[in-house]
Amino acid sequence: MRSNAGVISVTVVAMFLGVLAVTQIAAQDVYSRSLQLETPASLTTLIANLSERNNAIKDEILDLRHRTDTAREAIASGKGSLTEAERQLSQLRIFAGMSAASGAGITVRIDGTFDERALSDLVNELRNAGAEAIAVNTARVGPRSHFGATADRALTVDSVALRGPWQVRAVGSPEVMYVAMTRTGGIVGQFELIYKGTRFDVTKESALDLPALATPLR
Amino acid sequence: MCDTFHVTTAPSADRTRLAHSLVLLLPAVLFGLLVSAQWRTQAERNELTVRYNTPLLDAAKTLQNEQNALKLQLADLRTELDRIQTSASTQSGAAKDLQARIDELKLVAGLSERTGDGVIITLDDARGAAAAKDIEKSICHNTDLTDIVNQAWRGGAEAIAINDERIVGSSSIYCVGSTIMVNGTLMSPPFSVVVIGPQNELLATYDDPTQLRDIKQRRDIYGLGFRVSRATGLHLPPYRGALNVRYATPR
Repeated sequence: MRSNAGVISVTVVAMFLGVLAVTQIAAQDVYSRSLQLETPASLTTLIANLSERNNAIKDEILDLRHRTDTAREAIASGKGSLTEAERQLSQLRIFAGMSAASGAGITVRIDGTFDERALSDLVNELRNAGAEAIAVNTARVGPRSHFGATADRALTVDSVALRGPWQVRAVGSPEVMYVAMTRTGGIVGQFELIYKGTRFDVTKESALDLPALATPLR
Repeated sequence: MCDTFHVTTAPSADRTRLAHSLVLLLPAVLFGLLVSAQWRTQAERNELTVRYNTPLLDAAKTLQNEQNALKLQLADLRTELDRIQTSASTQSGAAKDLQARIDELKLVAGLSERTGDGVIITLDDARGAAAAKDIEKSICHNTDLTDIVNQAWRGGAEAIAINDERIVGSSSIYCVGSTIMVNGTLMSPPFSVVVIGPQNELLATYDDPTQLRDIKQRRDIYGLGFRVSRATGLHLPPYRGALNVRYATPR
């Protein structure tokens, strides 16, 4: 009798445990992320990011509407749409890194220990802040550029070795990019904590000249 | 005999009782742990999400829906402009030449659809029990995605998309809190990184034990989902965001 009671109670507890384990696994949605779990501060940043994106798309929609109308009129009047095509081509050549690019922007100077993953993160951060063209030292960063490092601590962009100190130059809104890089808790602040002894300087630039990709995309 | 019997059975009954209570002890402890874990996650959720989050969540969702609609509008306008250009390019040789160069640039820049063979990399949060050991290491981060993308370009990729967002020169893979944005679009795991390019080179670059060490280690220890597989007949959408060339001028 006694040992039967033991078996029964163990069984009951085991079943209960099984049910709980399942519930817990199901509740691991907590680890899989959803917006529901974001803090108000994160949600506010997300919202700012989303509305910035949306505004950029709206601007481009207005611009494209205007260009579509102009092209249509030009064709109707028999002039053809060469101007629009040329404009589109030059915009695409910048976007693809196929032409040299000039304009205002910022420079991030890095003097000291640094690595390829951090460089890739910096480029990612600059792109998120609206960088239109980026170069590391003399190498233009293109749509398919990849980052690496050599055994003797040079960084590589598209397998071309670049020695420090590095200058990462980005054409785009100097104000927006400067704030994105230097804000409290931003990427430069994080770098300064991780790469102690490395100097990071961010400066706004009124005129930058970036080269085209050394190897054109095919 | 009887005595002997009793003498031998008394400790045995004790041992059985002891064994029973030990058998019960372990489940009881586990039970307690589970209940408290359950209770704690519940508590955390409530604290964070009550007051401010509902209006903020609504705002974020509205903006994301607006963005989807805007991207469709932008795509329509691009198609319309293309149509005008193409019809105009039948008029002169110069226009035809220009249009051919535009089409070629669109293809390499990620503004056209692309089909071909390649690989698919899936990345997902760890779901198993090992995940509880260290949540930070068992979930996917935006840096995992940038590393995976970097590796694909290194392996000779021609085109990449993450959950249908095409990766182009202006793409960023951004992280706010624990939500990931690609090209400004909100995403959550699992992530499917679809890569068109030379299959053998791509597989070799992901197999290289010196590459993506962090991700592979977290897969082995915490059960992070990371898989690379060969795939054929892939279809990648074009980039649908803004080109955003405002400050840069050609030289």
